[in-house]
Amino acid sequence: MLRVEGLHKSYGRVVALRGVDLEVSPGEIVSLLGPNGAGKSTLVSIVAGLRRPDAGTVFVGGVDALARPKAARSLIGLAPQDLGIYPIVTVRQNLTLFGELAGLRGRELRTRVQEVAEALLLDDLLDRLAGELSGGQKRRLHTAAALVHRPRLLLLDEATAGADVETRAQLVALVRELAGEGSAVLYSTHYLQEVETLGASVVLIDKGSVLARGAVAELVARHGGSVVELRFDGEAPVITRDRPGRQPERDGNLLRIPTAEPGPEIAAAITAIGAHAARLQSVEVVRANLETAYLAITGRRYEPGEEIERA
Amino acid sequence: MSPRACLAVFRHELRVLRRDPSTAVFVIVMPLVLAALMQRLFKGTLVAQGVTGATGAEFAVPGMAVSFAAFGIGYAGFAFFRDHGWGTWERLRASQASSLDILVGKVAPAVGLSLIQMVVLFLLAVPLFGLSVTGSWPALLVTVFALALCLNAFAVVLTAVARTSQQLTVFASVGGLVLATLGGAFVPVEAMPGWAQAGSPVLPTYWAMQGLLDVVIDGGGLLDVAGPVAALLGFTAVFAGLAAWRFRFDEPKVYWG
Repeated sequence: MLRVEGLHKSYGRVVALRGVDLEVSPGEIVSLLGPNGAGKSTLVSIVAGLRRPDAGTVFVGGVDALARPKAARSLIGLAPQDLGIYPIVTVRQNLTLFGELAGLRGRELRTRVQEVAEALLLDDLLDRLAGELSGGQKRRLHTAAALVHRPRLLLLDEATAGADVETRAQLVALVRELAGEGSAVLYSTHYLQEVETLGASVVLIDKGSVLARGAVAELVARHGGSVVELRFDGEAPVITRDRPGRQPERDGNLLRIPTAEPGPEIAAAITAIGAHAARLQSVEVVRANLETAYLAITGRRYEPGEEIERA
Repeated sequence: MSPRACLAVFRHELRVLRRDPSTAVFVIVMPLVLAALMQRLFKGTLVAQGVTGATGAEFAVPGMAVSFAAFGIGYAGFAFFRDHGWGTWERLRASQASSLDILVGKVAPAVGLSLIQMVVLFLLAVPLFGLSVTGSWPALLVTVFALALCLNAFAVVLTAVARTSQQLTVFASVGGLVLATLGGAFVPVEAMPGWAQAGSPVLPTYWAMQGLLDVVIDGGGLLDVAGPVAALLGFTAVFAGLAAWRFRFDEPKVYWG
């Protein structure tokens, strides 16, 4: 449904995308995972036809999206990162506009507005002004506007950003349902837990490059062993590991020990650090999950809000 | 261009206008009030110019119609800035509407508003101020339509140039004032200083006033307003060209307010 090849994009001297390749099949959810500034929104906006790449190709449903953007856009539903609704008209009028823009008319339009409102628990609010909704309801309306015309490719850019727990759960459930009905979903997020809940394929993107891709379980199995982290007051000490496996890594005041057996590893580490134990502030076991996979792939812990400086 | 998508944007703009009709009320009511206040001021001038039986409305009404059409040029611009502020601009661009669909759908209500404002003023001025249109009403309609098109094309140019809503407010306010005063809508051109009289024809409002005064005072018909209307359409073409050259749909704009 979506095929992206060799996508490059720079903003002046800032490189946002460096040769990104990506595929999403019908019925598949692909989570675009990466910290802020990784290039996710740039990628989504190029696919949506809002920006032109410096190089590369984008095909949506077999349509060359760069040569025939309007035809490609007819297959796409986009919920951008920032909330985008008309606050001074009603929920119904918001949804009606986006339905009309997609070519829906008459009964079909009314039916779809009702259906999508029901799916996102907005049916009781259809005649309320959008500006009077709560934050979570606004976020649901924002997403609903992307779904009115049953897009074959759904682009959700940080769809749950700023949403409350309940709204987040509803949106995630809806995304799974849509994929179950055959829509292809490109779901950009920086919430690791959401990706695990979605059970989606993951494309890990950082500094404009794809670092890894695959199913969550596959990535965790391939890269995501448990890690013991020891945090010190001041610089972490140098220790040598006498157990089998990878050597500890120092990162400022943090000592990171990859291990399959966290318990014995902690005991051994406490012995190994000797007098430095007086400076020990915390010991944390990071179990094998997407976060440890990210750590293994990028060499640093996942900080959703971190801004990546692009060269 | 897709007429359906264009119509969808147009209808939506009308819904927004209905929810916040303050601009429409302002541009329709205020010219009526000011025309009433200024009517007597112009009576003497018109009589001195040999307009027999003048009530003053013969200048005050066209003058206020043109002035408030000029003051309203910010409206079309805010239709764009609003979407930037509400985060809906990118959504519109990602829809099936082309850039031209969005532009026409947003500007058409503003053209309609200018047109209604001017026509309502002329129609109400007949019973309220004793305005007598000695020429052809179709000629008057053609002139105000050409002016509405022209001013809103200018509004798109201002929107293209402005990066923030604050800039647009300043451009529209100053622009509207210059167009109204130097175009001879507030004061007859003959009463302005020489330098202003010389510069007046470079403004579209000058030609709108010439056309409207031809119709209202001199009994002009369609042929008589052909020159002023052609000038207005010429300005429209220039503004449309400038807008096409300068308007960047992917340019972020900042809206507050």
